[in-house]
Amino acid sequence: MAGANSVAATAATPVQPTAPRRPGMLKRLLREPVAAFAFVLVVALVLAALLAPWLAPTDPFDNDLANAMAVPGTNGLLLGADSQGRNMITRLLYGLRITMMMGLASVLLGGGIGALVGFAAAYYRRIDGLLMRLMDVLLSFPAILFGLAIAAIFGPGVPAVVLALSVATVPLMARIVRGAALVIMRQDYIEAARATGMNDARLILRHLAPNCLSPIFVFATLRFGQVILLGSALSFLGLGAQPPVAELGAMASEGRNFLFFAPHIAVIPCVLIFVVVLAFNVLGDALRDALDPRLRV
Amino acid sequence: MSPLLEVSGLAKHYPVKKGVIVQKQVGTVRAVDGVSFHVNRGETLALVGESGCGKSTTARLVLRLIEPSAGTIRFEGKDVTKVEGGAMRLLRRRMQIVFQDPYASLNPRLTVGDAIAEPMVVHNIGDNASRRAKVHELLRLVGLAPFHAERYPHEFSGGQRQRIGIARALSVEPDLVVCDEPVSALDVSIQAQVVNLMKDLQARLGLSYLFIAHDLAVVKHMADRIAVMYLGAVMEIGDKGALFANPRHPYTRALLAAIPHPDPARRGRVTPLGGDVPSPMAVPPGCRFHTRCPFAQARCKQEVPELREITPGQRVACHFAETLPDPGLDYTGGLTEAATKRLALYDAARRKAA
Repeated sequence: MAGANSVAATAATPVQPTAPRRPGMLKRLLREPVAAFAFVLVVALVLAALLAPWLAPTDPFDNDLANAMAVPGTNGLLLGADSQGRNMITRLLYGLRITMMMGLASVLLGGGIGALVGFAAAYYRRIDGLLMRLMDVLLSFPAILFGLAIAAIFGPGVPAVVLALSVATVPLMARIVRGAALVIMRQDYIEAARATGMNDARLILRHLAPNCLSPIFVFATLRFGQVILLGSALSFLGLGAQPPVAELGAMASEGRNFLFFAPHIAVIPCVLIFVVVLAFNVLGDALRDALDPRLRV
Repeated sequence: MSPLLEVSGLAKHYPVKKGVIVQKQVGTVRAVDGVSFHVNRGETLALVGESGCGKSTTARLVLRLIEPSAGTIRFEGKDVTKVEGGAMRLLRRRMQIVFQDPYASLNPRLTVGDAIAEPMVVHNIGDNASRRAKVHELLRLVGLAPFHAERYPHEFSGGQRQRIGIARALSVEPDLVVCDEPVSALDVSIQAQVVNLMKDLQARLGLSYLFIAHDLAVVKHMADRIAVMYLGAVMEIGDKGALFANPRHPYTRALLAAIPHPDPARRGRVTPLGGDVPSPMAVPPGCRFHTRCPFAQARCKQEVPELREITPGQRVACHFAETLPDPGLDYTGGLTEAATKRLALYDAARRKAA
């Protein structure tokens, strides 16, 4: 043991006898006040969307023409009523449901497939050219066009919107992930992993993917906002959520007709979209930092 | 007894292609061009040469991290160039690698304990508890503490990380460790720790090293035998003592003469090599060193010199190895003065600890 001990004595820097306990992921996330606020907001929004049927004061399709375009605060309607006299609070809760589901589903589905394609292209260089040219083909079509095509095939509605937005997200995520993965692939630790003889799946899941998380998170949260807006655009074109289904984008576009008489019909859903997108963006950034061991103190 | 590792005629040629749609091969980069050597059990073979001479490519070829274009690699007498799948996995367990850059060779998202245990997980060695015990044992072996297993690589210094890299390589108890310039990224006092650690581990575990370096002081300290590479081929190979005392190849001489020497009387007697290393895309015909060799003759431009045994154990790829004029230089001199300070430092570090 003399040899090892001698090395220990010369080499070891003065160290504490025990390792300090590392705070958990959630704790680190919540230490930043802005991130904590975003986290609470996202949880609240998700709960509100999930519990809409119980939280909503009225039925979402319950119209009361006497209260049409009621200003917030009148007749006990806290946020007023829309052009059909439907309670705005109810419509917003149900709209939040559809909108968030649409955004999350598109980002998770499209981003997930895109990430797989990106990793495959970076790892198996033989199929890189083929995969990326396919992605280029997808990139050349605007999301709205996909929406039109898919709505024409399957009929308009929320599933068509999710499908169209997922397809539009795939090539973007694939490009970003491929770029990040190519950088990581050149690192020595990938070669070291290969030298241990592990299989490709383990190498990609444990060594490649975790080190590509930052750009994935940033893009996914950015894309979430874009997707909600695109979804609204598709709803506006009549390809998305069909009336009388409440969807925030559709509500905003419907309110556009009454912008001068009853601005609250358009403005309130827009503010809610803004809050949702912002909360997810801030949380995404905080999550990325919390997941990076290098940024842990 | 057959050597642990025997490499013969190993080559890696990269095609150079041109054209966007119809690709046409316009040349070949001969990164490694017919390299032969062997490593005995428990010994250290140092591979030296200047940047770009194919040392690291050779290392990766030996581990089959890249596929050779030609040649054979025999591990315990068995050709491993054609081995695939499960058999290759078993072989990987017995050959490990330590990298040059300790900052790039550890996955920043894995704790040190996970990184060291990973090769054991991949090869299904032991269960979680026994792996953890082994990780702690390895950490102690390389002079770190067991609690370091919970930490992440960025919390360590370069020398500590390099020792973590060594612990990772040793976790599956390999026979051969390929060290790709393991200390050249470390500063001198840290080099001492790592070099001494590697020597101690070799003595205790009977490891064989294929040690790649361009620092001759480190090589002198570590190696049993030395192979000198130039432009993808071995120029001279021999025992450390013989090679330093009596280098036969003009390139080896130039390499040794280039070591800074404190003796001012030496000035003017050493002619440094002129010119640059030719591109590996256009390796000179005949002896690849003839463009820069001060003794080159007509024969050198036509005939490729084979590695010939000049004295027992010392093989040289030069037509005129026996007849070259003796420049009368003491090559070890430069080392004993400038770099021996460093060697002394290595030893001092060891003594202080003992």
